[in-house]
Amino acid sequence: MRKGNLELVVGAFVLLGLGCLAYLAIHLGKMEIMGSGYPVSVTFDNISGLKMGAAVEVAGVEVGRVESIQLSPGDRASVTLRLEPGLKLHDDAIASIRTKGIIGDKFVKLSPGNSEKLIPPGGKIRDTEAAIDLEELISSYIHGKV
Amino acid sequence: MFRLLTRTYAVIPIFILVLAVSTAMAASPKEVAKQVIDKALSILNDPAYAGPAKKQQRHDLVKQIVDRHFDYREMAKRSLGATWNSLSNPQRDEFVRIFAELLEASYADKIDRYVKNVRIDYPGERLDGDYAEVPTVVVRPNDRIPLTYRLHNESGTWMVYDVVIEGVSLVSNYRSQFSRVISESSYAELVKRLRTKVNEQRGGA
Repeated sequence: MRKGNLELVVGAFVLLGLGCLAYLAIHLGKMEIMGSGYPVSVTFDNISGLKMGAAVEVAGVEVGRVESIQLSPGDRASVTLRLEPGLKLHDDAIASIRTKGIIGDKFVKLSPGNSEKLIPPGGKIRDTEAAIDLEELISSYIHGKV
Repeated sequence: MFRLLTRTYAVIPIFILVLAVSTAMAASPKEVAKQVIDKALSILNDPAYAGPAKKQQRHDLVKQIVDRHFDYREMAKRSLGATWNSLSNPQRDEFVRIFAELLEASYADKIDRYVKNVRIDYPGERLDGDYAEVPTVVVRPNDRIPLTYRLHNESGTWMVYDVVIEGVSLVSNYRSQFSRVISESSYAELVKRLRTKVNEQRGGA
């Protein structure tokens, strides 16, 4: 009887440990299974290495993540962002692909705008800025532009 | 039979009217951009207006053509961001005027420099309701500059509200600069700086 109790307690602890591990994996990996917030789609000419799960920032504050990336007709990149529920995006918002530091990760910078119309959940950000190829710019600056 | 006939005749003028309106609307954003650019280029390359002496006259003529399809108010509003809402109407008008002057002063000389031996390609257009993007490529003997115009339909006329050069948006660039100046100091300081900049550009030109 006592041995059975001990095994039950050990089993409970193992389960608890596994639960903690799963919680850590999901939260540290920032892969929320239940996607909270609302989706917004954006089409860029070039995203140059933006990855799924990359940050979406307003004024340097993280307000969402890149949910999916697809190639859309006309060889453009169609990106779906999942944004915090409280974030208000206006019709004249601009989405730009930026790099953290000089060679850091790519992220999406949003400038929310101020027009009267809001972008509804599932809506689309019309104005975008593609990634600027910094390396190309620097090399054309160093070696001179022909 | 007679009633049917009169009804048919009554419909004809309406049909013609609809047709006329739709052909006026039919000028696609790409065609609008092409017309404006072609007209401006023909003046800039016209020997009658060549030379530094005719510079002012040349710029005035180009400005007249461009102004008809450039929505400076929308550009200024988008560039200024949230501060726009707190301005009174006369303040807004003043800001739009300074902004248009700034654009003119910054780009007039650049355009003069780029206009020689230039060809413009129009690879297509993207329409989305009342909004459109017209990508163009400025082709020079050893240079290709991608330049995209963003237009919106303002009561039947396509008006440019943003220009994207080499992937960099004019509105986005000014929006971040303006918001920085306003957060560091004030709106009054921004207007002062823009005025100084316009005078500088004009003086230096």
